[in-house]
Amino acid sequence: MKHGFYVKIASQNIRNNTRLYLPRILAETGLLGCFYIMLTLSMDQRLSEALGGSYLSMFMGFGAAVIGLLSLILILYVNSFLMKRRKSEYGLYNVLGLEKRHIIRVLFTESLITSCISVMAGLFFGALFYKAASLWICRLFRTSVVAGFYYLRASNFFLSAMIFFGMDLFAFVCNGISIHRMKPVELLSERHTGEKEPKIKWVLLILGVLCLGAGYTFSLTVRSPLAAVGGFFLAVLLVIIGTYFLYVTGTTFVLKCLRNNKSFYYDKRHMPAVSGLLFRMKQNAVGLASIAILATGVLVMISTTVSLYSGVQDTVNANYPQHLYLSAYQNRDGEIRHISFDELSGIVSGVAADHGAQIESIENTRMLIASYLLRDDKLLTKTEVEGGWDIQELTSVIYITEDTYAQLKGQTYFTSDERHLGLGTDEIGFCRIMSTVHDLGEAPETLTIDGKEYKVKEMISYFPVSSNFGNIVDVVGIVVSDEAVLNSIYMAQKEAYGEYASEYASRIAVTFADEEAMHAIGAEFDRDVVERLRARFPEDILSYTLDTKWESLHNTLDMYGTFLFLGILLGFVCLFSTILIIYYKQISEGYEDRERFQIMEKIGMEAWEVRQTINSQLVLTFFLPLLTAGIHTAFAFPILLKLLKVLMLSNTMLFVGCSLITFVVFAGVYTAVYLMTARTYYKIVY
Amino acid sequence: MEILKVTDLKKTYTSRIGGVQVHALKGITFAVESGEYVAIMGESGSGKTTLLNILAALDKPTSGSVELDGKRLDMVKENGLAAFRRKNLGFVFQEFNLLDTFTLRDNILLPLVLSQMSVQEMERRIEPIASMLGIGDLLNKYPYEVSGGQKQRAAAARALITKPRLILADEPTGALDSQSSAELLRVFSQMNENGQTILMVTHSVDAASHAKRVLFIRDGVVFHQIYRGDAGNEELYRKISDTLTMLRTGGDLR
Repeated sequence: MKHGFYVKIASQNIRNNTRLYLPRILAETGLLGCFYIMLTLSMDQRLSEALGGSYLSMFMGFGAAVIGLLSLILILYVNSFLMKRRKSEYGLYNVLGLEKRHIIRVLFTESLITSCISVMAGLFFGALFYKAASLWICRLFRTSVVAGFYYLRASNFFLSAMIFFGMDLFAFVCNGISIHRMKPVELLSERHTGEKEPKIKWVLLILGVLCLGAGYTFSLTVRSPLAAVGGFFLAVLLVIIGTYFLYVTGTTFVLKCLRNNKSFYYDKRHMPAVSGLLFRMKQNAVGLASIAILATGVLVMISTTVSLYSGVQDTVNANYPQHLYLSAYQNRDGEIRHISFDELSGIVSGVAADHGAQIESIENTRMLIASYLLRDDKLLTKTEVEGGWDIQELTSVIYITEDTYAQLKGQTYFTSDERHLGLGTDEIGFCRIMSTVHDLGEAPETLTIDGKEYKVKEMISYFPVSSNFGNIVDVVGIVVSDEAVLNSIYMAQKEAYGEYASEYASRIAVTFADEEAMHAIGAEFDRDVVERLRARFPEDILSYTLDTKWESLHNTLDMYGTFLFLGILLGFVCLFSTILIIYYKQISEGYEDRERFQIMEKIGMEAWEVRQTINSQLVLTFFLPLLTAGIHTAFAFPILLKLLKVLMLSNTMLFVGCSLITFVVFAGVYTAVYLMTARTYYKIVY
Repeated sequence: MEILKVTDLKKTYTSRIGGVQVHALKGITFAVESGEYVAIMGESGSGKTTLLNILAALDKPTSGSVELDGKRLDMVKENGLAAFRRKNLGFVFQEFNLLDTFTLRDNILLPLVLSQMSVQEMERRIEPIASMLGIGDLLNKYPYEVSGGQKQRAAAARALITKPRLILADEPTGALDSQSSAELLRVFSQMNENGQTILMVTHSVDAASHAKRVLFIRDGVVFHQIYRGDAGNEELYRKISDTLTMLRTGGDLR
């Protein structure tokens, strides 16, 4: 037979089954487009250079891999669905005299046509939107856009095309095998094999409830952010398992309960829907559970990344009350010599003069920072605790002398009375700087530090040194009377911790008059400070910490911008997958339901009643996953807040807002998809 | 008392291409008395199915009228049609048309549920009907778990349970083996003896021979009819066969 014959049949088949093929082509186009964008972003050298971003290429590569995997799963899912619908058609060809190899050839031509359309369109849109994506990333990173750069590489086109052609080829091979095995008579008659009524699997039901309960409980009860990090994936896994189990068997349980309630069940509004769903759930529980989980993923991913990104400035501002922090010491054979305040401020002032930057203030902080276990009114070192400790329970303690305290507070609006505590050598000032993990409760009257008891003379509400440990451990500030006391505490912890003991830190904190200008020249400024420091002190024994607000902002933007981009693109792809699964589920059910509703009409159901029944059934199956996703997200809230704290975001309202907006937008898109697929469904059924 | 009165019923289809007119029914007139058991026979294409669809109010005639219990079908409002059908007519189809997601009990109760009857009343009604039809033990089974004959008996129960004025049966034995057919026809006769009016469309002589009267339709008109009188099933069977033979060989009985 001529080749043209196959092309003709194949293209006609595709046209006749637009309802089935169009979404598949669109989906593959979209997935390939996203894949291409991710792949190219991960390889775009010029973009990386322009952004100075290191996270971008790594995470985009990861994103491309995720999309690739998801595409494979989706393509196979859609393919199995298409084959199921079209098998009887192929069976007819067989009966009409086409041999199986001819049918396979028709199939091949069909696959080739759809595949070519999808790949071409995908690459076209991918290349088109790549520009938009890269411009957007530049904005996310707050980098001035490199005018007109555009990145096209043949190898990326080739690689993307080959991967997707490969997936389509794999799907075709699966179809070919199933055609090869088919018996025409079986295919022709769409056989109504009796579906067994689903049974309640009690073990799964109980396991599901337990898993879901455990996941929720963990999220609700976890106190420490560090524990949240550790347990998050376990909790996610538990919730996923719980969701699947409950969808598979919990829905059956509920529906059977409803059916056993006779006065509820024997009502024309409920009876067709309940019994229909009972059987429907058996086939669709897994699909619906997947939709619920994907939807939850979209919600969590987008709301967290959006709030992280929009909280960048807040986060940086909170962590950097001043603009530049510098501390340095020389280590000569284990003997630590801290570089003095005068030396450090001299260096920074010098560089500032070179750059014409005006310094507003330079603060000096000499402090001791060490870790303890806080038990009642005792700060214990490791040697005092039997059996070691859990790192999550640690409390970080910042010690400063009263002189330092007064000096730091002098820069703020505190009166001189408030600045002077008048501590005796066995008295301290105590401040809870951060208590996220433990409820530190009432102020202790006395505090025993490493065996020595101090009287708490003052409860301080504002401690002039901010913690630099983020919000993940409890931080306590303690003011001691003088250097001698500080030194005794230093020696004590030195003895307890040995080589892990903390050293005195002397740190200057510089505030510049014009912050905006400093952000512009920040990178150069930092480099010059380091150069000067190295020129002044022998490089091989110098150890320094230079921490600037601009560098932190840049790093945070880099990281969170990448997260946001990834989150949104992956969220988009997940949404896409959700829509696709819903669509195909819907129309496959439409074909099955058609007969049922025709019968009901013959028995004496009004047309509008049939429509109402269809509607209530549709709404239930459709919005159950959305509801589940909403509940999951709500229960995930506490743990997500803790996780965000680890990432330095503690603005709860921002996160709540982002989550709500994400949910509303998602529900909107979901409803729009529902309305569209419902229309197709009605057309099939009615 | 006349339950069904069909007067000069005509149905003309116009083909979509070319506008060729096909006269499916060319003026059918007959009446069914209360308590009658009428079989309508005819070859494929004789207009049987069109007639039944019109009687069931699933289709509209081009002209002529159908009166059920003195009420003209074309006067029933579109919105109330399904309810009217549910109240006055019971259906038994060739393909059973049971819903496979319902147990037999639920299938039988469905018309009552649609009429929003109370659960007690439903349960009161189903018991005697199910035991009369011999499916009392099968009520909690699903259609795929029972035989074709049992399915058709469940369908008959579903038709009976609304206490309809008239039962319309469309080739009820068409998908059954001979034994199940015989059993179903026995059930139909029993239903009729209890006073149920039945109108059955069939081309099975055996099925028709159980009726009290047989109407023959050919080319869209009532061509002939046979009354059972005192004849037994076998005698009626022979009469029907003879009539069919004559019809086929072109004999004119009028």
